[in-house]
Amino acid sequence: MSHRRSGLLATGVALVALTFGLAACGGSDDDGSSGSGSGSGGEEVSIYSSFPLQGASRPTGISLQNGIELALEQAGYKAGGVKINFEPMDDSTAQAGEWTPEAESANAKKAVQDDSAVAYLGTYNSGAAAISIPILNEAGLAMLSPGNTAVGLTSDAPGADTGIGEPDIYYPTGERNYARIVPKDTVQGAALAGVMDEDGCTKVGVLNDNEVFGKGLAANVIDAGSQYDYEFVDGGAVDTKAANFRATADDFASQGVDCFIFGGITASNAVQLYKDMAAAMPDAKLYGPDGVADTDFAGGLPDDVAARTKVTVATLSEEDYGKEGAKFFEDYQAKYGDPGPYSIYGYEAGKLILDVLERAEDPTDRAAVLKALFETKNRDSILGNYSINEDGDTTLTDYGVYNIKNGDLEFNEKISAKPGT
Amino acid sequence: MPVAFAIHDLTADGSLTRIGNNLVDGVSNGAIWALVALGYTMVYGIVELINFAHGEVFMIGSFIAFAAFGWFGMDLNTAIPLLILGLLLCLLISAIASGTLNAMIERVGYRPLRDAPKLAPLITAVGFSFILQNVGVLWLGGSQVSVPDLIGSQDVLFQISGVEVTNGDALAILTTVPLVLALTFFIDRARLGKAMRATAQDPDAARLMGIDVDKTISATFLIGGLLAGAAGLIYALYQTTIWFHQGFEAGLIAFTAAVMGGIGNLRGAVIGGILIGVIQQISDNRIGPEWTPVIVFAFLVLVMVVRPRGLIGEETRQAG
Repeated sequence: MSHRRSGLLATGVALVALTFGLAACGGSDDDGSSGSGSGSGGEEVSIYSSFPLQGASRPTGISLQNGIELALEQAGYKAGGVKINFEPMDDSTAQAGEWTPEAESANAKKAVQDDSAVAYLGTYNSGAAAISIPILNEAGLAMLSPGNTAVGLTSDAPGADTGIGEPDIYYPTGERNYARIVPKDTVQGAALAGVMDEDGCTKVGVLNDNEVFGKGLAANVIDAGSQYDYEFVDGGAVDTKAANFRATADDFASQGVDCFIFGGITASNAVQLYKDMAAAMPDAKLYGPDGVADTDFAGGLPDDVAARTKVTVATLSEEDYGKEGAKFFEDYQAKYGDPGPYSIYGYEAGKLILDVLERAEDPTDRAAVLKALFETKNRDSILGNYSINEDGDTTLTDYGVYNIKNGDLEFNEKISAKPGT
Repeated sequence: MPVAFAIHDLTADGSLTRIGNNLVDGVSNGAIWALVALGYTMVYGIVELINFAHGEVFMIGSFIAFAAFGWFGMDLNTAIPLLILGLLLCLLISAIASGTLNAMIERVGYRPLRDAPKLAPLITAVGFSFILQNVGVLWLGGSQVSVPDLIGSQDVLFQISGVEVTNGDALAILTTVPLVLALTFFIDRARLGKAMRATAQDPDAARLMGIDVDKTISATFLIGGLLAGAAGLIYALYQTTIWFHQGFEAGLIAFTAAVMGGIGNLRGAVIGGILIGVIQQISDNRIGPEWTPVIVFAFLVLVMVVRPRGLIGEETRQAG
């Protein structure tokens, strides 16, 4: 009898385990969607996307993916006379709660191995791009990011880690294959430094999460802030898995820090960090980059902390994007709900790749698509007029400053980075 | 390390306020690690198994406490008497739920493997750890969740010569100390406690003396889980942020604490937990947060090299 009971128990547990396993495995596909042109005949090309669809960056990843999908859908999944097969991928895992090098690497390899792949849209996290750019580079596959801002991915300007050989380390063939439509962190750093000056900061505490984006952004803020009167207290990198940051916050408080900025992303335990900073420095102003511009961060902060936090994102107010922008936001809202700050960049990434396929000599040829991407000049887009320079950077320079109200980001002002930054 | 910084503070500032604040923060943080470490050390002491799922049982305790806050409608406006009553109820619920979960894991996963090679229950423990992490992800999602700051965790309760004791510090220390004292008394004096010690020393001899070894082991897991549940609630109130990954991190620290103190030794686990808490705080505050994991584990290596059985020594059957 007891043996039978034990057997039943074991079977029950195995079933529970199987159920959780299947649920966890299935989770990543729930929001994945793919489409292809329904036109008759013709050649077909594949466009891959890779964003974090689980964990703290999920809202941003989903909005980027949806933006691309909307652009492709509006074009009927066709451009340059070819049908487009859209393959969205997830570079995060439930276990990690954020993007992982293994998932991103697997995504890049999957795209490379598909002979019909002509473009790879992603990533959101700069660290993830550092993994996939070299893989795609060796295969000559064009990569277009609507979310990466780390300087070192494209240039050796301040913020790049030239010690490890950025940016050349990412391009083993010596040819560039990576472009982005979001301004890099020399621009964001200048925008943040400018806002902190406007707000009357006198001593700014800086921490980073020791990742490609966070470390670079912190360096950019310090570099750009050197032209202002305030001084910096650079606390270096934090252990993002720490239970709390009270001791570090106390250290800043004892040094008279009155403003704080974190170079990092929400998944790097940002909510806990900002809470601890706010508690240790009750009058300090708090700032964050686009890495924390999501609902998990905004919604996670208590109201009193949110009220003194400002976040920068390259996205401006809806009014700044004119009629085309208004239509996009309306269409996005109707299909997916709240657009979030990054959906418009996903949309423009989709629109640009459609344009590239139209302009490419042979839209099924990777080299021709790559060439057309770097030939993007004076493009009139939903984001404004911009070009892609030889490094792969956009010429756009505007950043939006957001407040946090009722758990959501609320546009406050537009900042144009100063010339020379 | 604290002594070195105390001397530094005296010479530089002429006061011990800063090191005092480091110690208070460290002891309160360490108290939570100690509660979790007790579960590791008790289980290892009695069945020589590293229960890798223990950190996740602690995490589930936090999640249950968070849910219980909602069930009782507790928020920032709740009157203090009702808040205290509600928190006691939540403590009871999270402790019982975590204790039951831990006992169930033992019954279902470890007991059938009692005579199997040691690797089998170890891998089963890793399996349960992943299952519970996924339960956490499915329950509250993959990112950090803010818990209402019901006790004003970082509000200063009182000061002594500039050394601040916050509500969170008081909660962690005042909950942990009685629990540890009660547990120590129970293990030393109660019939079941004596049975646990006997089983830890020699299960076969214990069985010959009429002790129900299986029940004793189950009780050990239950008590370890109760403490993990209590720690889960304290953690939620102290940090005001919880997430599915907290158990992995806490488990790693608590296991390190248990080893540092002497695995299998209750007092060792408490001392190890508090030591790690203090080292973390001093390192974060004085040296730089990026060095903290290095310093903690370097200290562990040092302890292991000098005292291979931990600071206090093992109370396992090999040691005996």
